[in-house]
Amino acid sequence: MLCTWENTTREVAIAEPEIALLPVATTEMQGQHLPVGSKCFILDAISRRVGETLPCSTYLLPTLPLGTSGLHLGTPGTVALGWETLASVVRDLVESLLAQRISKVAVLVGLGDASGGAAWPSDNFIVKTAVRQLNYDHQELQAIWVQPFRAAWTDLLDIFETADKEVHAGEVITSVMLHLAPDLVGEDRSDHVPAAGPELLNYAPFARVCPGGVWGCPSLASAQKGAQAFHAAVRHTANYIVSTFDSLAPMKTCQGAGERRSGDA
Amino acid sequence: MLDASCTSAEIKTANPSVAVFGIGAIAQHSGHLPLGTDRYQVAEVSRRVAEDLRAFLLPTLPFSMSECHTGTAGTVWLRAETLASIVRDVVHSLRSQGIHRVVLINGHGANFVLGPVTRELNRVHRDMMIILVQYEPWSKEAYLFRYGSVDSHAGEIETSLMLAIRPELVKKERVDGVCAMGREFYDYAPMHRWAPDGVDGIPNAASAEKGLVALDAGARTLAKEVRLAFEALSREDTGESPAESRG
Repeated sequence: MLCTWENTTREVAIAEPEIALLPVATTEMQGQHLPVGSKCFILDAISRRVGETLPCSTYLLPTLPLGTSGLHLGTPGTVALGWETLASVVRDLVESLLAQRISKVAVLVGLGDASGGAAWPSDNFIVKTAVRQLNYDHQELQAIWVQPFRAAWTDLLDIFETADKEVHAGEVITSVMLHLAPDLVGEDRSDHVPAAGPELLNYAPFARVCPGGVWGCPSLASAQKGAQAFHAAVRHTANYIVSTFDSLAPMKTCQGAGERRSGDA
Repeated sequence: MLDASCTSAEIKTANPSVAVFGIGAIAQHSGHLPLGTDRYQVAEVSRRVAEDLRAFLLPTLPFSMSECHTGTAGTVWLRAETLASIVRDVVHSLRSQGIHRVVLINGHGANFVLGPVTRELNRVHRDMMIILVQYEPWSKEAYLFRYGSVDSHAGEIETSLMLAIRPELVKKERVDGVCAMGREFYDYAPMHRWAPDGVDGIPNAASAEKGLVALDAGARTLAKEVRLAFEALSREDTGESPAESRG
């Protein structure tokens, strides 16, 4: 059972949601061929399907359309939040869910990439820090973060030729947009994969590193690959959320389990 | 329409000089309206105003300061300082891409921090004009509504607007209620403590017709007022050099 902002407060009260989903997207330059709202558009669709898939009563919040896109600042259409602001938004929303006794919150952090591992989200990094802080501030809280493409990364490597090379506006995101909203995808799809590693983006604006606005191979995109990736992202994200809350529940209910651990990664 | 469904290149070509940012909320709206009522309303008005002004329409902020509805299922809120930070960051993003005129459209009466933050941003960024539509835009058309003067939440006005925008989300069964307390009670205790049905107004007097007229007239009046404000501010411009510092 899925509740959203389309429901009345009474309907949400009757549904007694066990889990809340908070999607956090970005509005930023996405190459010459994709709308600035692409990540928001895709995350909206994925979050709703994940909410419908979860086996328990779920409350889906509207997607926050703005994130920390500082590396695209100055390019037309990019609207970025500072990291303190995004951390505050996540804190306020999670605490207001806790106030209505929804203690399991999954934050969907942008889309993520196929680089594997889950130590750091691949954008909106600060959500990791915000989630950790919230879990230690509120012992009864189970807040987790997940990135849909990251959760499905092994499938993505099978579906796409260049998923492992994609940083921005490449084969993966272009394919999923071709699946969800082909009318919004332009034809000007030039590939560009810099020799440098993506850590360069910590030091220089994206437009300096990739003047065409692309880091990846959008020319290889297709709607068919996009459909496969979309369904894989939904399935893996829902599975990740269910299994992570299953693992976490006993750790939170045991006395002393909420105490701070030091030095963990 | 110049919005998030455009590419960065398309926005660059259109070269908009004005941006419109609507601020919604997720809050209880009694038994008959959805939690996203404020968001639907401000998104609709913002779209119409942006079209009229040929402005870049930003995605509507879904959340804001609805803590006065705490204790009701589904209500989530931002603190005042968080909302202020969002507005600062958005204005900074627009300024960095050469958009110096911003229209903030407030869709939720409780966002009082928008006043001080607008004033601060206009003071810090002397090269910008940031206009705040402080009250819900449709409140200007309150003459349309029979019980407009006693309406503060989920009453005739909001119900009429939702009947015009998303009628399938409005329930037939509606409780009327006019609270004896002054509106300062929103500052003192959660609304459900002094208005258990979560309504302050007469939703049974609502109609889609009134809602449509209010939207049309409200958005047109608003766009006209914003134009006049920008013109007046341009005349006042003293030609001082743009401030570089960020608020």
